[in-house]
Order: sequence, then structure tokens, then C-alpha cells
Amino acid sequence: MKKMIAILLAAIMLLGVVGCAAKPAAPAAAEQGKVFNIYAWNEEFKGFFEKYYTVPEGVTVNWIINPSDNGVYQQKLDEALLNQANASADEKIDMFLAEADYIGKYVDSDYTMDVTSFGFKNADTQYEYTIKAASDKNGVCKGVSFQCCPAAVIYRKSIAMDVLGTDEPEEVQAAIDSWEKFNAVAAQAKEKGYYMTASFAETFRAFSNNCTKPWVDENNNLQFDDQITAWIDQTDEFIQNGYTLTAGVWDTEKTNQMFADGKTMCFFGPAWYYNFCMTNAQDPDNGCVGDWRIVEGPQPYFWGGTWLLAATGSDNTEMLKDIFETFTVNEDVCSKLVENENQYPNNTAVVEKYANDPSYGNTSILDGQNDIAVFANLAQNIKWENHTNYDQLLNEGLQNKLQEYYNGSVDKETAMKNFYNYVKETYANINVPEA
Amino acid sequence: MNERTALQNAKRKTVSYAKWGYIFILPFFVVYLCFTLIPQFLTIYNSFFENYRDGLTQIGPNFVGLENYKALFTADSAGTVRILKYLANTMIMWFVGALPQFVIAMLLAIFFTSYRLNIKGQGFFKTVIYMPNLIMAAAFSMLFFTLFSRVGPIQMLLTKWGWIDASFDFFSHRVTVRGMIALMNFLMWFGNTTIVLMAGIMGIDQALFESATLDGANATQVFFRVTLPLLMPIFVYCLITALIGGIQMFDVPQVLTKGNGAPDELSRTLVMYLNGYLTTKNYGMAGAISVIIFIITGVLGGFVYRMLTAQYRDPGRQHRQRKGDVL
Amino acid sequence: MKKLDDNTLGRLKLNILRGIVYAILIFLCFLCLFFFYLMVINATRSNAQLATGFTLLPKEHFFDNLVNAWNDASINIPRGMLNSLIVALSTAVLTTYFSALTAYGIHAYDFKGKRLAFTFIMAVMMIPPQVSALGFVQVMNKLHLNNNYIPLIVPGIAAPVVFFYMKQYMESVLPLDLVDAARIDGSGEFHTFNTIVLPIMKPAIAVQMIFSFVSSWNNYFIPALLLDKAELKTVPIMIAQLRSADYSKFDMGKVYMFILLAILPVLITYILLSKSIIKGVTAGSVKG
Repeated sequence: MKKMIAILLAAIMLLGVVGCAAKPAAPAAAEQGKVFNIYAWNEEFKGFFEKYYTVPEGVTVNWIINPSDNGVYQQKLDEALLNQANASADEKIDMFLAEADYIGKYVDSDYTMDVTSFGFKNADTQYEYTIKAASDKNGVCKGVSFQCCPAAVIYRKSIAMDVLGTDEPEEVQAAIDSWEKFNAVAAQAKEKGYYMTASFAETFRAFSNNCTKPWVDENNNLQFDDQITAWIDQTDEFIQNGYTLTAGVWDTEKTNQMFADGKTMCFFGPAWYYNFCMTNAQDPDNGCVGDWRIVEGPQPYFWGGTWLLAATGSDNTEMLKDIFETFTVNEDVCSKLVENENQYPNNTAVVEKYANDPSYGNTSILDGQNDIAVFANLAQNIKWENHTNYDQLLNEGLQNKLQEYYNGSVDKETAMKNFYNYVKETYANINVPEA
Repeated sequence: MNERTALQNAKRKTVSYAKWGYIFILPFFVVYLCFTLIPQFLTIYNSFFENYRDGLTQIGPNFVGLENYKALFTADSAGTVRILKYLANTMIMWFVGALPQFVIAMLLAIFFTSYRLNIKGQGFFKTVIYMPNLIMAAAFSMLFFTLFSRVGPIQMLLTKWGWIDASFDFFSHRVTVRGMIALMNFLMWFGNTTIVLMAGIMGIDQALFESATLDGANATQVFFRVTLPLLMPIFVYCLITALIGGIQMFDVPQVLTKGNGAPDELSRTLVMYLNGYLTTKNYGMAGAISVIIFIITGVLGGFVYRMLTAQYRDPGRQHRQRKGDVL
Repeated sequence: MKKLDDNTLGRLKLNILRGIVYAILIFLCFLCLFFFYLMVINATRSNAQLATGFTLLPKEHFFDNLVNAWNDASINIPRGMLNSLIVALSTAVLTTYFSALTAYGIHAYDFKGKRLAFTFIMAVMMIPPQVSALGFVQVMNKLHLNNNYIPLIVPGIAAPVVFFYMKQYMESVLPLDLVDAARIDGSGEFHTFNTIVLPIMKPAIAVQMIFSFVSSWNNYFIPALLLDKAELKTVPIMIAQLRSADYSKFDMGKVYMFILLAILPVLITYILLSKSIIKGVTAGSVKG
């Protein structure tokens, strides 16, 4: 019995603690806050932040991380932002991360703040599109990107040798520098028993980030760009002919193709792809480090990119300025991002240094090939236009619903109908065809 | 003090202690009011409003009457009324799991209680079959996902044996996805049902079996003429509570299909539909779906209520009776 | 040719039947254990080994996977387990104590509206939490109680099913003259409940504590709607997060280890207490 009461008491005390923790703390006396809250959807930037940024003494950094799948990250972030005005100083979001697919939603709102208001100035060395993406309709910039994400084709040298008779980047590039040629090589690869790509959606970004019109028109009608249609046509052909697998871009089935015994020739990705998606290629036992090369591929594009946005109401503006500078202007840190982390930095001076340095090469995967030079060429072609706030969930939804068509569970018409239903359900304000 | 005055004292005290009854049940009702009843009314209230978010902009709440319900029951371009489709999915997946659940639970209950069979190791068997009931549904379905995925061990094993083609995908076929969900539900619940039905059988007066056997009834006759009719109330109770549990099906298909209800939304359940609107903050539609689910469970719950309260028409009666016995 | 007598024939039939029954039981046990066995085996293999195929024998990477899973940055499983433990334990204590209290209030006292109260609890017993989830989340957001354990723990006070079980149990074990005797001895009502009634209810409380602990530990729907701070997340949210996109960066050995860790506490509790748990299920159902 005593034990019971003891447990009960413990529980009540526990409740008390929880209750206290929820009470708003008194606002910090100093001008700058003691708690720095960051919202993010994965650990990528957190790793760089902890390595290359020195947090001022006495400041605690809180990371609030929610997965971006199914829009969970955005939902949780929205909830917190809408509550920002009522939150205590230490509870307020100071900085949050946003991806290309939905950055506009936050940049065009009052929940983000002008970077010049706390003394940050964009440098000439930053890529133009990264600034444009972080600016609202009036050109007021609300944040910075710590990376630039030109994306390329990363191929298996040994497989290219078998399929094309060459593994030299120049010659491989010449063989796949347009979609017609790319598709033709896919047929050759198939004959030799290889896959051209390992996911039906592998080439999606190469098309979707070259769209000439946004997903939604001025009357809130859903519309398909020619690039999206072209991707669907290509994928139809690839699936029909067995040039690719029905796995999604993030599926284990795809990443397993990067082991040494994988049968896939090409992967599409930017610099962050190495660390994020290619861990299997770097497996000490079954990986194939050094068997990879990078080329520009059929169509220049970019994929993703992580922007750091300043949240309105932050009481840590000095720190914000400091962080922004560290990851854009600071050439020392940007160089370390290249050399230690295989990143492509948002700093043209650093990029030029490495692109023109014959002694630089990516040794962790590409056996010493200078990938920065390849990315630098691609980066010149990145345009920032035709984005909507809905891109993430529309891109994700289209891939999910079409995947069911490609793996044979529904016909194309049903897949499209399911996509329209999904859009209607996710965004009540978007008009979909015939729904 | 003689016995009579003691009785009168006791009686008087029972009356004067009434306020303690209120005090003791107060926490329950306060908490129920705050955390369930008010939210319940709020949910119903929400269903009559247009109320959602466009990005960071709040739209509504605007009163729209029954528009949300109308939207729920409007067919899409292919003529499908989605909420009915999801209801059908839920019921089919429940049924496919519940049918073997009840048949096998009934068989096991009979095996375990049979003196003739005299099954050894009952403790072990019961422990094992009940175990899946306690496993976190999210973890269980995550486990199924990894085991049955295209690169998982089950796929590899069956491919090696030549039972399935290497390109077979458990997650792209209606039958296999629903089958996996039903299998999980079956595994999670048949042990529980077995134990409950066993308790029901053991609660039947042994004399009835004996006299039936003496009258020359064989085992089958005893089962159908004696066991089953007497077990019927508890069996129906189990069935309806299982059905209500089935309508709430969420964790397993949600985690297994990553919320997509693939393929072709044929494994999407009612609560997954509700969850979709809840997470996108479309409170109007979420409210309307909640009300529909509420009505369905309300009707089913009505049966359970009637069964449970049949012997409880007057909760004070037994108390008084027992008191009477004592005196 | 000797004719088999009825007795032998009967015994033969019985033995065949017994054989079939054991076969069925063993098959079902196999089904129940097989997937968990695979999970444990796979938790001992490295990612590269897992990609190579199916095996029934454990490998040597158990501790690698354990260390990797335990120290993973994005899925902080030790924290999640601690959080779940706090929530589940508090819920279990509150649920059982207050359900017993409510049941006692209805069982031991006569007061106006008692029948109504009882009828009400019975009537709402079967209403699932999902149908009021929307309003629940709204109210909690209004009160700034999202990212707080109160909405996960306190509602446990009003648990109709546990109440019903307690009421059943009280009717069979709690003679009210015992309560009257305590009153004559001058014991206050709460004192009586805490020192006389609760000890008598111990078996029922133990069983219901286990059940409410388990169901709280496994609860996913409501916590997922309310919690988003990493340091508050409970285990089921973390497990569902494993299914999200980014997890291609995980190694599968670690994923199996996460699942194993998620169910381990319940599994251990169950193995230790399975007898009383099964007895509890049995007792809870005898009412019909």
C-alpha cells in the first residue's frame, strides 16, 4: 500500500514538474536571448552548425526537428509560427530552415524578418538565385542558404565502361547530353543487363525544376507544365522497357543499388546527395567508393537546398547575423564545407578557388575528380521562377500516386484521379480538373 | 446497543454519506467534461463551418450548414464516394482479420477447456498467443513493412523458394496489403478473444454439460445445443467490441502504407481519412468525418450498452440486496 | 482378424485429435513468434548483411546496432523511452486510482443521480477517442497545452472501461459491512478508501495498471497530433517517423534495433507478469 501511495505521490510531483515547465519563463533581462530555437526537418545542417559555428557563451540552442514527409514539418512549423506572438521569449522560434519547395510561403509572410534589420548584408559571392528565393515580392531578403544545389548525373564508372565502352566523363557526357541520347543509352544499358536509373522518380527534379509555369495559376487552378508531362512520358517509357525500378527516390530498394553489386548506371543529385543518399556506396564491405564519376547530364537543374530564415520576434538577432555570415561570407568555413563535408557552398569565391585548383578533387567517392568544377558550370544556369507554396506536397503527391501506376496496381487514369483527390484534400482552395 | 439500533444507525449513515458519493465521482466527471465532452461538442460544432488553412492564412470559420457533409457524400469523377470507400475498406480489412480471429479463438477456447483433450502446456500457449496484443501497433507494422519490403527477408525467402517473382511487390497489390493488415489485426487479437471466450465457457455450469452427456448427446451436439447458446451473449459482446475496435483501425495501415493507403487508397481507413484532415488543419471536414464515425460507433455501442446494462438495470439493487443478506 | 474394441478406437481417435490440436497450437505460436524472431535476428546484422538476404541465425552486430540506435541524433530513443515511461506510468497510476475511486463512489454510496451517473459512464464507454480528437486538439492548443504531457496523462482519470472493471471487481470482493465497520471505528471516508478498499482491490489495480501502462505506452494517434518538440516525443511517434522519407540514410540494422527497443519494455513486463495479465483478462470478461 505504501508503495502505491509513493508511486502516486511521485506521479503527482512529476505532473507538477511538467506543469511548471509549461509555464512561460520570465523574459530575459539582457537584450539578447539566452535560448536559440531552430526548426528543421533533418540533422544535416545541425551537423555543420555544431562543427563550424561557435555558440556564444550562455546561449542554449534548441533543435526542433520534424520529418518533412506528408508535410509534417510545415504543419508543426506553421503551428509554432502562428503562436509566435504569444510565446515567451525563450519559446519563440529564432531561426527555421526551409526548402526550395515551400520557402515562398514563409518568405512572403510577416513571420520572417528582413535580414538588413539586424545588419546582415548579402555578399556578391552569394548565388543570385539563393537570394531571390529568400526574398519576398518586394525584394526584401529574409534569409540565406548555406549551400547552392546545382545537380548533376553521378554514374558508375565500371557500368559506363561496359555500356558505352568508355568511362571518361567528357565522353560519357557527350553520350547523354540530351534526353533523346539519355533515353537511347538507357536502351543500351538494358541490353547489357543494367538499369539506367534506380527509381522511377530519379529524373523528376531535372524536369520539375525547369518548369515554365507554376503548379497553380492565378485562379488557383491546378496545371501541368510541359516539363512535368515530359517527365511522365519518359517514365512511362522507362518503366515499360525496364530501364528503371519502381522504387521511390528515398526507398531502400533504390539505395541498395549503390552497393558494389548494384546494376544501376546513373543517379541524379547535387552535392548533398553524397552524404545523404550514397552511404551504401561508401559501405566499407559492400560499397564501391572510387567507381563513381560526375557529369552535367542531359539538362541543368537544381535540387533542394536549405535556407536559413530569420523568424520575426527573435531576440537573438546578433546570433542570427553571425550564423548567416558564418555560412555564406566566411570563406574559411565555406572551404571546410567543401573539403570536409563534400558540400557545394554558397560562395562563388570559394567555388572558383576549388574549381580552378587542379590539385583539388573529391576523394571520398569520386576518386579525385573535381566535382566543384562540374557543379560550377551547372550553377550558372539555375533560375528561380515559377514556384508556388504548394510545390512540396504536389511534387510528393504526384510521385506517390503515379508510383502506384508504375508498379502496376492502378491504371493511369485512376492514378491521376487519386492525385486530384489528394490535392483537393490537402489544399481545399486549389481547383482540380473535373473533381 | 442491540442489533436493531445498529441497523438503524447504519441506515441513517448511508444516507448522510451521500455527499461522499458525489465527491468520489467528481474527478471522473470533471475530467470527462473537460477532455472529452466539451471537445466532442466542439467537434460537432466545427463540422458546420468552413475552416482550414491556406499556408499561414486562416480561412474561416464561416458557417456553411451541411456543406461539409454534402462534400463528404459527393462522388468524385470516377463516381466513387470516398468516405464510403474508406468505410468499406475498413470493414473488409476488419472482417478478413476478424473471421479467423473468432473461428480460431472459438476452437482454441474449446480445446483448452476440454477435459477429454486435456491439453498440456496451456500456460505457455496462452502466454504466446496473447503476446502480440501488447505490442505497439506502430512498431508491429513498421516491422511488417521492413520484413515484407522489396528488399526485406520475406521477399528474398519467397523469391529463393520460387514462390513469387523477384519483381513482386507486397505493397502494390490490394490483396497482399489488405492481407498483411488483416493478418496483423488477427495476430494481435485472436489470443485475447480466446482467453475471453475460455472464461465464458468456464463460467457455464458444469452440470449442464454432464446432464447433456448423460442424455446421450455427443460432443458436437453439446457444443451446438449447450455451449454455443449459453456462450452467445459473451460472444456477441466480443464481436461488437471488436467491430468498434475495427472502425478505429488506424496505426497499422497508417504506418504500413506511410499514410497513403496504397494501392489505390484501398487500405485507407476512416480514421486515416480523418487524420489527413486533422493534420492539414481542415477542421470543417475533419469535424464532419468525426460525426460520421461517431454515429457509426454510437449505433454499435448501443448494442454493447444494452448487453452490459441488462443485469444492471438498477445499480443500487445488488448493493441493497447484499446488505439485506448480511442483516 | 481381431476387431478393435470401442475403447481402443476411441483412444486412437482422441490421440489423433490431440495431435491435430497440438499441431494447430504450435503453428499459431510459430506465427506469433516468427516475425519477432526475425526482428531480433535482423537487429544483430549489419546493413550490408541485411541487403544480402534471409537468415535464421544471428550475426555479430547486435551491439553495433544497439550503440548506433541508442546514440542516433534524429531519433533519440533513450529520451523517447524515458518520456513514454513518464507518461505511461503517470497515466497508469491516475487511471487505476481514480477509476477505483469512481467505482467506489457508485458502489458504496447512495445518492441522487447515482443511477444517471452510472448509466452515463456505461453509455460513453464505447466511444473511441478519435471522434473527439479534433475538439480535443483545439482546446489543448487554446490552452497552450500542446507540447505538454497533461493532455496525455490527465484524461486517464476518466476511463469508463477501467471503471467498469473496478465496479465488477468491487461487487465480487468488497463487502460493504467492512466499510461500515471502519466508519464505526471512526475512519474518514478517504481514509477508508485508501487503507481498506484499495488493498482489497490490489489484484484488480495491478492488472489495470499493467493494461493502462501498455495502452499508454503504445498510444500514437493523440500524441502525434499534440507533440512536436524532440525532447517530448514518445516512442510510437519516433517509430512512425522511421517510416518517413529520410530514412534511406538509416541503416536497416539500426531500424530493426529501434523497433526492438520500442517493444522491449512491454515485452519484458509481459514475460514477467504474463500469468496475472492473462488472469486479469479472464476476470475482466466473466461478466458477460
